[in-house]
Amino acid sequence: MRVKTGTVRRRRHKKILKMVKGQRGPRSRVFRRAMEAWLKSMWYAYRDRRARKRDLRRLWILRINAAARQHGVPYSRFMYALRRADIQLNRKMLADLAVRDPKAFQAVLETAMAAVD
Amino acid sequence: MTTKLHRTYYPKADEVAREWHLVDASGQILGRLAAKIATLLMGKHKPAYTPGVDMGDFVVVINAARIRVTGRKMENKIYHRHTGYPGGLKETALKDMLAKHPERVIELAVKGMLPKNRLARKMLKRLKVYAGPEHPHQAQNPKPVRLD
Repeated sequence: MRVKTGTVRRRRHKKILKMVKGQRGPRSRVFRRAMEAWLKSMWYAYRDRRARKRDLRRLWILRINAAARQHGVPYSRFMYALRRADIQLNRKMLADLAVRDPKAFQAVLETAMAAVD
Repeated sequence: MTTKLHRTYYPKADEVAREWHLVDASGQILGRLAAKIATLLMGKHKPAYTPGVDMGDFVVVINAARIRVTGRKMENKIYHRHTGYPGGLKETALKDMLAKHPERVIELAVKGMLPKNRLARKMLKRLKVYAGPEHPHQAQNPKPVRLD
C-alpha cells in the first residue's frame, strides 16, 4: 500500500509556520523559508540566553556608575571602596538599589567610602 | 507595593522625567564639552539609564561662538561633506565654520558622540545651540551645568 504524508506534513508545516509569525515576507509564509527562519531564531535564542547574562551585567555597571557619580564617586573607586569595606552586595542588587531606593544606595556608598579614607 | 525583585528595572517611555540643562560654552574645549553634553542627551547620568529607551534631557548651549580647541585645530580641522555629484567633495575649515555657523560646530561634535541610530536623532532634537549669550528657553528654566 502507498503511504502518503498528508496529515503529518500538514501538522508539521502548521507547527513551524505558527512559530515564525512576525518574520518578514516569505519567512513567515513559505514553509521552506519559514524553516530557515525558525532554525535561525532558535540559534539566536540559544546564543542570546547566554549573552543576556553579560548584557545585564554591563547595564548594571552603567547604572551603578551613573548613581555613584551623582555623589561624586566614579564607578571604579566605588567598587574599590566596596571591596575595602567588605560589602558583598552584587552589581545586580546595587543597580536595583540605585533605581528603586536611592537613599539605601547612598547609605551603602557612604559606608563604603568611609572604609577608604 | 509588590515589585518583582529579581527583575532588572526597565523604564516605560512615559515615566522618563526630562530636565533642562544650561551649558555656557565660552572658553570650553570643544570635544570635552561635547562629551558632557552627549552624556546628558543620552541620559547616561541617570541611575535608571537603559540603552534602548530614550532617557535623555534637554540641553541648551549658549555662547557657542566662543568655544575653544587645543593645538592647531582652529587652522587645521576641516569638515567634509559630499554633494553626491562627481568632484562634489566640499570642505569647510573650523575657522570658517565657527564664523559662519557657530552652532553647527557643537552640533556636529555632539552628533558624532551619540549612538548611530534612531534614538540619536531624537536626542539631537533636544539639543539647542545658540551662538550668543541669549536663548529663548527661559520658560523651561534650564539649570546651569557645573563644568570642571
